[in-house]
Amino acid sequence: MYHSSTQRKRWTFCNGQQLERCREEANRNFHSKAAATGKVQQNDFRLLKPHEELAICKHYEKRLLDFCSVFKPAMPRSVVGTASMYFKRFYLNNSVMEYHPRIIMLTCVFLACKVDEFNVSSAQFVGNLRESPAGQEKALEQILEYELLLIQQLNFHLIVHNPYRPFEGFLIDLKTRYPVLENPEVLRKTADDFLSRVALTDAYLLFSPSQIALAAILSSGSRAGINMESYLSESLKLKEDRTTLAKLLDGMKCMSNLIRKYELPKSEEVVALKQKLEKCHSLDLLLSTNSKKRKGYEDDEYVAKKPKVDEVGKPIVLFFFFHSNCHDKSNTATETNFCTHSYSFLCCSGRIHISCT
Amino acid sequence: MLMLGALFNQSVSKRLDSLSAITPLQCLCVHVWGMQGTYLVPFEDTVQNKQFQCESCVELLFVRGAGNCHECDTLLRKSNFRVQLFEDPAIDKEVEIRKKVLKIYNKREDDFPSLNEYNDFLEEIEEIVYNLTNNVDLENTKRKMELYQKDNKEVIQKNKIKLTREQEELEEALEIERQESERRRLLIQKEEQIQQILKRKNKQALLDDLEKSSLPASLLLAQHKDRSTQLEMQVEKPSQVRPVTFSTGIKMGQAISLAPVPKLEEALYTYQPLQVETYGPQVPELGMLGRLGYLTHVRAASPQDVAGGYTSSLACSRALQDAFSGLFWHPN
Repeated sequence: MYHSSTQRKRWTFCNGQQLERCREEANRNFHSKAAATGKVQQNDFRLLKPHEELAICKHYEKRLLDFCSVFKPAMPRSVVGTASMYFKRFYLNNSVMEYHPRIIMLTCVFLACKVDEFNVSSAQFVGNLRESPAGQEKALEQILEYELLLIQQLNFHLIVHNPYRPFEGFLIDLKTRYPVLENPEVLRKTADDFLSRVALTDAYLLFSPSQIALAAILSSGSRAGINMESYLSESLKLKEDRTTLAKLLDGMKCMSNLIRKYELPKSEEVVALKQKLEKCHSLDLLLSTNSKKRKGYEDDEYVAKKPKVDEVGKPIVLFFFFHSNCHDKSNTATETNFCTHSYSFLCCSGRIHISCT
Repeated sequence: MLMLGALFNQSVSKRLDSLSAITPLQCLCVHVWGMQGTYLVPFEDTVQNKQFQCESCVELLFVRGAGNCHECDTLLRKSNFRVQLFEDPAIDKEVEIRKKVLKIYNKREDDFPSLNEYNDFLEEIEEIVYNLTNNVDLENTKRKMELYQKDNKEVIQKNKIKLTREQEELEEALEIERQESERRRLLIQKEEQIQQILKRKNKQALLDDLEKSSLPASLLLAQHKDRSTQLEMQVEKPSQVRPVTFSTGIKMGQAISLAPVPKLEEALYTYQPLQVETYGPQVPELGMLGRLGYLTHVRAASPQDVAGGYTSSLACSRALQDAFSGLFWHPN
């Protein structure tokens, strides 16, 4: 549950400034590492600044959402949300110059499919990339290279709580306890729109998913001209607790602000930044010792990956503990309030198999 | 002198006879003498002071009377050579030492009032064994052993007696078991024989009847079949086995100690219900959801779902929990 999750404890920040600081620090770290190799100076003009990195991240996040929306078979919303969250968290502590966002984006989606138990084989996954089979192979290789690194940089906190189920919960609650609003279903469409727009902002890193869902409902309510504040004070029993109420409303205003202020970087800007990024990568700073090795395995004595033909006999199995997830709209869950731990086996050798016990 | 030497030779060779060409010998000063072929083979090892000698060399040594271990100069007698059981001589040395120590330190768990003291005792034993095996602080250890022996003479004696008594009882039990199985075997054999005889008699009777009697053949056959099945069932009566143990495992016939079991006083566990901070409004209980009207807004469970244990209140409760969890929480 969210209240006991690592998302609340470690990945929710106080305000936007803290996020900015994290990103700047990541940028600075990269600059110093690059300067240490001697190939560039500190604050070289060829390296990206934090606001440029942010623009690139935004662009690639949009690309991620587009990739997921055309994904075959249809990807559930929670998987998309998880992937997007991974992407945000990763680039909070890392620089785009060190790890190219194009690959990280695919790795995030790949990992999110596994974690959220949306079973796609790796072949199916890369089949969604619009490239030649050889290009798809290469992409798969790159994804597998970065997978463990991604997990490490997420600090192994892989469970992400998305606002979609809280949203459903609020709708149910509205229908049951708030007769003032005759048909809460009218709110659904605009609220969905709100949720998809808030996914592009930093709101996921600043607010709890239930707050985001409530914000979606309230904003779509106000757009339809319905004032839902009585829901907050009556049904949620916040009449007495003024401070909490005030804070909630504050948070929602903040979220609306974030959405309003969000703008996708212009395409010329993006093109220019991309070129700069490519130049950075081609500077061959080679901050990781062996580019052929799978990233993140540097501490183990791991042999470089053999060609796919031989791969069959050598899966690398990682064990994780997961809280089991419900899928959004399907009510086939059988979990109860107390978390049931399911053990999942991940095979990182190119096949995604998940068996729950 | 020669006669004596020959006698010595015999006694040693009897012991050494059981040796195949490879197992090494060990003297009481716990240095290892072994055989590598038939020649003297000097051999340095991590365990202190090892030397290998073959059988013939050992005999040679003792022809001249008692000799000294080459390394540690302890007086050796032929009779003190033993066949080594384990490949690694260090282990064998330790095993021998342990046997000696345990002969003296032979207290048992029930001799101690608490588990901790018993464990301390065991630890002491291990320390002593370790010291003796690795020649650490030999004098002190030996003195400790002697002191212990003096202090606890009666206890040692009592435990020795107990040990022998237990061994006897074990042997008796084994003997009884063997006899039981033997008896059972004979019984089964006898019964089989009886059955065979009966069968044969039956067949014979059938043939006689077929010859002499005037009843139709099928009737006679039916009669005989009945009789033979009856006989079989009779013979298969289960044989009585005298019970030796109660079902709980206590052996019959043994005196059971009726002393009261010592009570353990500990703090009683009291149940505290789990308090979880959800940072949000309270979710209604699972059972109340139907009554409060939530379930009308959730997709109802199909019969297949219900068969698997799913109810719509589970999904509803999960959605509500997620909606309310962390709602009032703000990072600071």
